[in-house]
Amino acid sequence: MSHRSLFFAASVFGLMVLQTPAQADVDPETLVEPIAEYKLYVLDNLDQFVSHTEKFTQAIEAGDLERAQALYAPTRVYYERIEPIAELFADLDASIDAREDDYENGVEDPDFTGFHRLEYGLFKEQTTQGFTPYAKQLMTDVNDLESRVQDLTFPPAQVVGGAAALMEEVAATKVSGEEDRYSHTDLWDFQGNVDGSQKIFELFKPLVAEEDPAFVDRVEKNFAAVEDTLAHYRHETNNPEAGFVSYEKVSETDRRAFVGPVTVLAEDLATLRGKLGL
Amino acid sequence: MSDLSDNTPRCPFTLDRRRFLQGLGAAGAAAGLGGSAWAESRTDATSSHDVTGAPVSTTTQQSHPFHGRHQQGILTPRPATGMVVVCDVLARDRAGLERLLRILTERIAFLTQGGTYPKRDPSYPPADSGILGPTIAPDALTVTVSLGASVFDERFGLADAKPKHLQRMTGFPNDALEPTRCHGDLSLQICANTHDTTIHALRDIIKQTPGLLMVRWKQEGTVPVMPPSPDTPTPSARNYLGFRDGTANPNTDDDALMDSLIWTGDDPDEPNWARGGSYQVVRIIRNFVERWDRAQLAEQEAIFGRRKESGAPLSGGSEYDKPNYNDDADGKITPLDAHIRLANPRTPGFEKHRILRRPFNYSNGVEANGQLDMGLLFIVYQADLEAGFITVQKRLNGEPLEEYIKPVGGGYFFTLPGAIDEHDFLGRTLLEATETDV
Repeated sequence: MSHRSLFFAASVFGLMVLQTPAQADVDPETLVEPIAEYKLYVLDNLDQFVSHTEKFTQAIEAGDLERAQALYAPTRVYYERIEPIAELFADLDASIDAREDDYENGVEDPDFTGFHRLEYGLFKEQTTQGFTPYAKQLMTDVNDLESRVQDLTFPPAQVVGGAAALMEEVAATKVSGEEDRYSHTDLWDFQGNVDGSQKIFELFKPLVAEEDPAFVDRVEKNFAAVEDTLAHYRHETNNPEAGFVSYEKVSETDRRAFVGPVTVLAEDLATLRGKLGL
Repeated sequence: MSDLSDNTPRCPFTLDRRRFLQGLGAAGAAAGLGGSAWAESRTDATSSHDVTGAPVSTTTQQSHPFHGRHQQGILTPRPATGMVVVCDVLARDRAGLERLLRILTERIAFLTQGGTYPKRDPSYPPADSGILGPTIAPDALTVTVSLGASVFDERFGLADAKPKHLQRMTGFPNDALEPTRCHGDLSLQICANTHDTTIHALRDIIKQTPGLLMVRWKQEGTVPVMPPSPDTPTPSARNYLGFRDGTANPNTDDDALMDSLIWTGDDPDEPNWARGGSYQVVRIIRNFVERWDRAQLAEQEAIFGRRKESGAPLSGGSEYDKPNYNDDADGKITPLDAHIRLANPRTPGFEKHRILRRPFNYSNGVEANGQLDMGLLFIVYQADLEAGFITVQKRLNGEPLEEYIKPVGGGYFFTLPGAIDEHDFLGRTLLEATETDV
């Protein structure tokens, strides 16, 4: 991978934060279609999430450590994409995706379940032994999530705000490598968050493009910068399905190269609700 | 157990509110700060709101000029709080660096003079953190921008313009440097009368520089506030070892002395753009305070070479009297390895090694062993890094004080010359000096 092109990729971002935003003037009717499309996107991802979780948990129950390890990151991606909606169900989000830091007793806490509890077993303890109850619980929770989301009326503010929220996720826990500290598969989650954010931006872009083309241009360039940087760490540059190298392989310099465009995206996308009058 | 509080002696500094406010009001008026208005409006307040009513200060309108040949925050009298924030520059080219320097200049000019933030449509994030309200007072804020040696690498084409002595800090024998608290591209020294003013300034700068700056490490500090003293010069503030610190600083009212000791410019080997700047050294020096508090007073005083209570040199007199080493060649009065004697032996020709100290005390929490993590946020300025800090610190290597201190972080930086007026920006001379025609 070439450092020169990495730096180039990271150098296109820029932000004029001192600008005074214009008063939003968006007809609420125009939000209906992108919200509906977003719901389809979420349901499609949930569908995939359920089927991948089935394979993942079956591998654990079958005691197939290697297969379970291999399926861990590709399964999580679907959840990471739709976090703005998934997080609306706080109880499920805690049991599916909490980290040991969320519990005073850490890994030993009996309430600590879900992906990161399994991650600790699969990657730190290197075993599936005794993890069947966690696997079964995860499957139950994921099925529960799917049925709850199907019945959900998507709140527009939550959907639009999700674009920024996903970038905040990246800035807070992905760049530091603390999300997947045992599997070091952070780049998968990173890509999932970025994909989810970009999807929301793309859906609502037509509503802001005319009024603020510079904003759209800047956001697109920064997404492209992040995408280019991520591509350097894929096993196959143009194939996200092929997966990523371990986050341990990402140098300090390159981690910093992520911070610039991610922070500018977080600042910019935080104005999307304002631009749409939400 | 429940009697514990009754057995605890009352804090001797607890005054009743009226006396406290009157005293402060008088002090404020004496200093010409017009502090009586708030004193009148507050002393009679007895409502329950008093519990959470904002503490008042007579000094929020103090301000230091931003524009000038030199940056503020060096010769400026040190206020009660300060922090050093060291960042890496994320900008990847000269245009990005220039944008960063222009934004920093614009923000510092605003923050240090105070003003009102623009209002925004509430569906947008607000323009400011708001922690000081919609209108901010200067509160003696200064922000001082300095560059580390790493900025002069290949990224910005500045390599040929690096100040002669600027280098990456290397560890001294007693150091235990932690990589996460060392070095960096750009340092911000932020000082103000109150801690929240420094925090506000930092959050404003972070908010306005996304994609350009990333905080690498930060250390906050304070100095103890004293009641007004009739003594001139004012006694030096004390460090967390209980000793007065900074006594031997060169006289900052002496312009010629400052030009030779603090401001870079006279040395023909220094790049011309650096004229009016200064070398900044930052060191995070942990103090082992529990152990220090168990050391006998005589040993503490011998280690420093000063009386703890008055700050006077062991050779006699008062704080600002020059120590007498001439009649003490074998160190019977002031040990030869006393801190102040090593740091400044007062020998002919040593004047050129003098440095300007402007430190703060820090307190961070608790170590795994239950001991307090606190010490000195050491900040010094000098015209020549080699002749200044590096020479002095080499002389201090092995001093008895080392048993009680451990430097764990810091870095060397070059403080940019000032922005001379509102059309100028910090770092302009550096960028101009390195422009290439393509």
